[in-house]
Amino acid sequence: MTRTNLLALLALGTMAALAAFSQADALQSTKAVKQISVTIIITPSPAPVVMHRSAPVDAPPTHSVAVAPAIMELVADPFGGPLLLASSGSVWDVPPSGLMIAQAITAQPTPVPVRFNAKPDPNAAYFRIIPHTSVLNVPYGTTTFACVFEIFTHYTTAHSLADWAWGTTNTAQAGTYPMQNNPTTSYLSWAVPDLAATFHAYANAGSPGEKTWSGLAGQTQQHCVDLTIVVPNSQPPDPTPPYYNATAQYTLIVS
Amino acid sequence: MMRTLIAAAAALLMTATPAFAAGTPTYGSARINYKVLPSVKAQIIPNYMSGFGPQGGTGSGSNPAPGPAAVLNGGTVDFGNVVVGFQYLYKYAAQVNVQTNDSAGFVVYAEGATDLNGSNPVPTPATFPLAQTLFWLVNNSGNTPFSPAASFNRTLGTPIGANGLNGIDYSGTGGVPSAGSAVWSSPTSGNLSQGFDYQLRLSGSTPISQFDVYIVYTVVGN
Repeated sequence: MTRTNLLALLALGTMAALAAFSQADALQSTKAVKQISVTIIITPSPAPVVMHRSAPVDAPPTHSVAVAPAIMELVADPFGGPLLLASSGSVWDVPPSGLMIAQAITAQPTPVPVRFNAKPDPNAAYFRIIPHTSVLNVPYGTTTFACVFEIFTHYTTAHSLADWAWGTTNTAQAGTYPMQNNPTTSYLSWAVPDLAATFHAYANAGSPGEKTWSGLAGQTQQHCVDLTIVVPNSQPPDPTPPYYNATAQYTLIVS
Repeated sequence: MMRTLIAAAAALLMTATPAFAAGTPTYGSARINYKVLPSVKAQIIPNYMSGFGPQGGTGSGSNPAPGPAAVLNGGTVDFGNVVVGFQYLYKYAAQVNVQTNDSAGFVVYAEGATDLNGSNPVPTPATFPLAQTLFWLVNNSGNTPFSPAASFNRTLGTPIGANGLNGIDYSGTGGVPSAGSAVWSSPTSGNLSQGFDYQLRLSGSTPISQFDVYIVYTVVGN
């Protein structure tokens, strides 16, 4: 009888706990989402060079070689003799002869007008991203950038901020550099030095990702986000557009 | 065709004039050799394909739509109303068509004639940086507001006309745009086209205003 009561009590407790947590989950909602993109330009760095002293080698024996007189004259005076113009008619845009004037051939069509009407963000009072560095020029290896952007959060009730490597998911496909797809670890990591010095690889297994920070009811926070990026030797450089790109999505979740 | 006519006229003059003078017509021919200098021509078509316009702004609470100045095969690349702090992709923004007989090909450069000019209301300051706000990327069906893209930059040349309405004068900067503004190149001659999408990344510090800018394309033969 006692055992039966104990089991019943345990089951009741489990049910109550489940109900409470489920209700808490249900009360949470996404208040706002925002994305931040950074351009990553991999600039090849010179490989370290170590000079080795070469082993002494005996000089090869010299031999006399008969040279034609014309070649000897050319060696003695490379610019002597009649003026020669090396050319191949098919290679030149215009075969060279007579008067030629070097000129840039250009065309500039009518410009393209671009317009947009910037409207205020209705959620700006609760959630803002303030970018500071939009382009990360990185060498191979590991590089850390301080305060690449700041995030502002505020809400009247308890809330949290989550981050996710935009567009990533949990899949066998490795994804694109630098965010990749889970279970491949992202090459881009973040830290909020105001809260902790630890860097976390961006969550890349789906939205909303991992918790960046939490806030109490009515709490206002604005923190810098540092980024660390790893460029493995296997990653090709991207000296020309469109370059590598990393987009992180931040979600404000309120209770 | 013009060269053919000139050649025919020259031939006529060289042969016919003495004949008329003598009163007896005679006929002959003259061979004229001429060289063709490289030439480059180009046209830009904004909103060059049906389906043009902005997309994105996920989470902003509004759906983007082309502004009234955008029309098919012309007009303005008009993103319409966009929300500060969000990113947008403008499909089929501009198509560059190049015709050249230059066997060495060409390079196409694109720069902003100015920074973004604010109006209605006029912000303080009146301009906002073009760099890292407006981007370009080669048209592709898989493009998104977050696809890798390269930023347009304000030119070092001199805008011609109001805000660069008539282009950019590069005479003070070596005659050509900066190398970093190259957007497309071809190693061969021909009649070639390339479509571009634009991307708008509005930081939280973008003022509330209507912004305009002229993007100037310059084609230079190699």
